[in-house]
Amino acid sequence: MKKRISIDPITRLEGHGKIEIFLNEEGDVANTYFQVPELRGFEQFCKGRLAEDMPVITNRICGVCPEAHHLASVKALDALFDANPPGAAKKIRELLYSAFYVTDHTTHFYALGGPDFIVGPDAPPSERNILGVIRKVGLDIGKAVIECRSRNHHVIEMLGGRSIHPAAGLPGGWSKSVSEEERKEIAEIAKKNVDFALFTLKAFGDIVLKNPAYLELVTSDIYLHRTYSMGTVDDKNRVNFYDGMIRVVDPEGIEFVKYPSKDYAKHIAERVEPWTYLKFPYLKKIGWKGFVDGIDSGVYSATPLSRLNVSDSMATPLAQEEFERMYQTFGSKKINNRFQPIHHRLATHWARLIELLYAAERMVELANDPEITSPDVRRIPERIKGIGIGSVEAPRGTLTHHYESDERGVLTKVNLIVGTTNNYAPMTMSIKKVAERLITKGNVVEEGMLNRIEMAFRLYDPCLSCATHSLPGTMPLTVTIKDSTGAVVRELKRQ
Amino acid sequence: MKERLFRLKKGVIIVKRTVVIGLGNPILSDDAVGVKVARQLRVALIDSDMIEIKELYAGGMRVMDAIAGFEKAVIIDAMQTGLHKPGTIRLIDSAELGSARNLASSHDTNLPTALELGRMLGLSMPRDVKVFGIEAFDVENFSEALTEDVERSMPEAVNMILKEVMP
Repeated sequence: MKKRISIDPITRLEGHGKIEIFLNEEGDVANTYFQVPELRGFEQFCKGRLAEDMPVITNRICGVCPEAHHLASVKALDALFDANPPGAAKKIRELLYSAFYVTDHTTHFYALGGPDFIVGPDAPPSERNILGVIRKVGLDIGKAVIECRSRNHHVIEMLGGRSIHPAAGLPGGWSKSVSEEERKEIAEIAKKNVDFALFTLKAFGDIVLKNPAYLELVTSDIYLHRTYSMGTVDDKNRVNFYDGMIRVVDPEGIEFVKYPSKDYAKHIAERVEPWTYLKFPYLKKIGWKGFVDGIDSGVYSATPLSRLNVSDSMATPLAQEEFERMYQTFGSKKINNRFQPIHHRLATHWARLIELLYAAERMVELANDPEITSPDVRRIPERIKGIGIGSVEAPRGTLTHHYESDERGVLTKVNLIVGTTNNYAPMTMSIKKVAERLITKGNVVEEGMLNRIEMAFRLYDPCLSCATHSLPGTMPLTVTIKDSTGAVVRELKRQ
Repeated sequence: MKERLFRLKKGVIIVKRTVVIGLGNPILSDDAVGVKVARQLRVALIDSDMIEIKELYAGGMRVMDAIAGFEKAVIIDAMQTGLHKPGTIRLIDSAELGSARNLASSHDTNLPTALELGRMLGLSMPRDVKVFGIEAFDVENFSEALTEDVERSMPEAVNMILKEVMP
């Protein structure tokens, strides 16, 4: 019989990501807790500031996806100032955002997530990085990755004014238009991106999918969680990173709800747990049932895999082919003429590459759209509505900015739900499942345990920097295992 | 390469050989110290032909991009070891790099990996890379101000870097 374990009041953690695993009397895993230190005071920091400063304030929350914050912020301002941007401005924003997606997803695959497969989950950490990848697949790949980042950073700079922190977003539009010369250059870069995305998908197919050991890992149930999926879709229910309606499908693939971002508070509530400052979003209408899977649990995921799960198809042809291939590989059946969701979390790495291809193809489309060079890129706001909510798909999940202001445009309230926050509950569940596999009857399989827990993290590509607004980290991680009396049985540390 | 600025001075092309990088989040209290030191250095070195100052808000491969093409790189970042008084400035050796907040906490690679990557790919990496860490007190609250001890360490930090880049 499971003994009730009382949990000590939370002590503040300094600089480390911490996982605590509590065992029951039989020595099996009773509960797991994932704790991160918290960054505080963002809303206070913003109150009293001018709302229009937010695009260049929020893009500093994190150095990894400033573009995501910049665009979500700018969209919140479009709403706050009731200024709908001209078509060209929206397309420029989406073009910049697509270039950002190409760099982000490329970097993640080759430097972070990919190494787990290309080098192997049991390889030493010193090899499980981009160097290990290059040693395995060749120097040319490394050069191609650097080149990809470089040319797309150049696009972001051309369109956004600054390479790392774009600053061209304005309520009602964009501060600069695109010249024909720039357009041509971007179109060329976009073509190279498509080639590189296809190459990467092929490499993934050759190295991962054709390797029985990896395929087994990807399709095993150690990282399997049947939850609701969330993503942003266009009017044909195809994923769009920049704009659309937020769609949620249930674990079987039936649409549960579709709503505009301004209604997020009607559908999403945040669960507070005593052992962490991080809040756990969940579907209000289903309710919070704990860290559990299933159609009756309000837990949902918002990841590249989730985005594909909520999509009926992809908006570009090559990505659509890959989309079908992935769902067919997992034996996904069709319901209402759409594939049922994939719940094997490691498939997120594959989904990310399909998104990479889509982003590249989308860049080609936008760069060849005649409206992209239009000089009409701004609608000057004429009034202040006092409330504005904007969302985009950040690489790590649906990102929502919510601002309220007084009649002068001075902020009175700020709420952010960042990508990783959506996934905090699934991450906790993934960690618990790994722990349950590796700890039974008090026996801890230490070998590779830390790696397998970290793999659960890496597939979500968490930006802990944003999520609690916490200390950034990949990640000095401490895993503490406690028995049913609360005594520490084992402590595993990644330095 | 974009990173190297060429200035025409009396008909001679000058190539900047040293880059100083201030790393940090400008709105996260003491995490901003690297960036703030860089800003002061920019003023102190305004007439320098040889030294380039950069501010960066993310580590990993972006640092590699920023130091490529230079002979010497000096990086300044906030540290949280918990072992030193806030405001303590130290030259960090590679064993301690894990405590450098922005250098170590990258979303892609850490500094030693990034350097090796650069070298592997034939990007001209600096022969001399030094990392200065300033012990932070508060890196958890959003604020544009540094805490007192860290603020007071700034002049010394600026002087130390100046000595390092202009011996």
